[in-house]
Amino acid sequence: MTKYILKRLGTSLLTLLIILTVVFILVRQMPIEGYFDNFDKLDQAVINARLQQLGLRDPILVQLKDFFVRLLHGDLGQSARYSVGVPITAIIANKAPLSIRMGVISMALSLLLGIPLGAAMARSKSGFWDKFGTVFIVFVSAVPSAVYYIYIQSFGSSLLGFPMLFSRDDWRTWILPVFSMSLGNTAYYAMWLRRYMVDEMNKDYVRLARAKGVKNSEITMRHVFRNSFVPMIQYIPTSLLYTVSGSIYIESLYSVPGMGGLLVDVITRQDNPMVQALVMIYSCIGIVGMILGDLLMVVIDPRISLKRKESAR
Amino acid sequence: MTDNHEQPVLQVEHLDIKFNLRGKVLHAIRDVSLELYEGETLAIVGESGSGKSVLTKAFMGLNDSNGWVDHGSILYQGHDLARYTTEKEWLTIRGREIAMVLQDPMTSLNPLKTIGAQIEEALRLHQGLRGAAARQRTVELLNDVGITEPDRRRRQYPHEFSGGMRQRVIIAIALACRPRILICDEPTTALDVTIQAQIIRLIYDLVHRLHLTAIYITHDLGVVANVADRVAVMYAGDIVEIGTSREVFYSPAHPYTWALLSSLPQLGKKGEELYTIRGTPPNLYHHITGDAFAPRNPNALKADFIERPPFFDITPTHKARTWLLDERAPDIRPPQVLSRIQSLGQ
Repeated sequence: MTKYILKRLGTSLLTLLIILTVVFILVRQMPIEGYFDNFDKLDQAVINARLQQLGLRDPILVQLKDFFVRLLHGDLGQSARYSVGVPITAIIANKAPLSIRMGVISMALSLLLGIPLGAAMARSKSGFWDKFGTVFIVFVSAVPSAVYYIYIQSFGSSLLGFPMLFSRDDWRTWILPVFSMSLGNTAYYAMWLRRYMVDEMNKDYVRLARAKGVKNSEITMRHVFRNSFVPMIQYIPTSLLYTVSGSIYIESLYSVPGMGGLLVDVITRQDNPMVQALVMIYSCIGIVGMILGDLLMVVIDPRISLKRKESAR
Repeated sequence: MTDNHEQPVLQVEHLDIKFNLRGKVLHAIRDVSLELYEGETLAIVGESGSGKSVLTKAFMGLNDSNGWVDHGSILYQGHDLARYTTEKEWLTIRGREIAMVLQDPMTSLNPLKTIGAQIEEALRLHQGLRGAAARQRTVELLNDVGITEPDRRRRQYPHEFSGGMRQRVIIAIALACRPRILICDEPTTALDVTIQAQIIRLIYDLVHRLHLTAIYITHDLGVVANVADRVAVMYAGDIVEIGTSREVFYSPAHPYTWALLSSLPQLGKKGEELYTIRGTPPNLYHHITGDAFAPRNPNALKADFIERPPFFDITPTHKARTWLLDERAPDIRPPQVLSRIQSLGQ
């Protein structure tokens, strides 16, 4: 097990290295005009001085080496354009906690709503809950999220009286953004859980459990549910981690000062150090999510073993 | 054996079972009557789709929800199981009174639970055993079904067992219920030929040691000859012949039984073509007039196409539904090849 995790971490590190190198080189292929707000009015000397200051005039391999050396010392560098001179760690430390908290809450809500909904749909196959859930899922997946986000915001504030804009300290302002954010995942979990549970319910072991006199409700809870959770569990850490990295649209809709739109923002403003730092963080999130997903599978399904297989007799 | 002929433990009378398949009604069981006597082993044979499984699943309310008992009764301990509709009623029967061993051991166990947990679930439901007592009993049961090192094995998962071993576990689960009747639905069909004999032997021994009444569904006639006291032959949702194993094997009376026995590969001789029954079974969506086997029977009588034959008693234990047994019928003899069965039995 430890050996497996170490091996996975090793390959992950290699992946990260490749991603960073590629991104590092790519952002440096951008036209230099992007580094200036008023490029046309500046003379060449000022431009050169500024590029020198940004460290962009060295050969690219030297720049890359410098970047990795600093990274090894735990230095992500400073923002070059977004908020000039401020250490990137400080910017992220300021914005991330809000996004993370909002993401965790909305994820918990998705699981709390999506799993019972999916289970109810599977149990009442083509009954009320199944139809209700299908309508919900089709709605959420077919209607562009931007559309229902706006409806939730306007109806939530005008009819239900929830505040329209976000404020860190007022819990009532959290409700609408968190709810909007959870809808997509709720539909996703309900849809897949229903599907996997219906599959499992037709398996022979369910037939045997019925034949030995187990109640249908107990079969669903004790046998079917866990089996249908196996294929889902793998994706939960990844989806959690992506949720906590913030949602651009919801954060801008409710003016949440999170880090949802940050990456897009810094790319358009060609803030190279910020782009590199954020790409690294998001890549780590993805990689850790996948490793956690695989480990969870091992925990829940005894057939999956990370050690060498003991053969069946 | 069938000494106790007075009081059947299970009595099926004029049972009709129908299924609704996308608006079309399939008549799966057609007016079947059957008695099951305490302590006997009854084999039900017939080709796929003849209704063997549907009939026995009806005893436990395990047929799919689009099927229903249209007519008739299944009497067990003074209750008519054909009238049972709620899950609560069936839970008094399933496992507790009638247990089942399914066909495919590879998929019949929950892959995420240890086999011990799956046996203990039955012990908890039917014997109220929990904790150490349940574990103790599990070890005994695994021992009974011939699994070595039961205390270690009970903590293992199904994927750590081979097919034959899993079927033993499933038998242990059935026994954990302490049923009165054990239904084995083609228990060896999915197994390796070398394992089949072991499992049949195991079931045979356990049934006799625990004085169970058993129903053995199979299309392997060799199995039937070895384990069954009585044999019922099913065709197109109906029992066409029933008798002791000896009677059905050595003096079969129904043309379908003749055909079935003639197709035993063991009866063939080198160089001879194997016997096959011509035609296909009737469509159960349609109403069947007369003897369902008549269209495939080369010696069918005119009467076979007009009216369904009644059961004719041949001996007190042996009866068959064929007009050939009517006193007005011409003298049609079973095919010559069946005489070879005598020599197989030696």
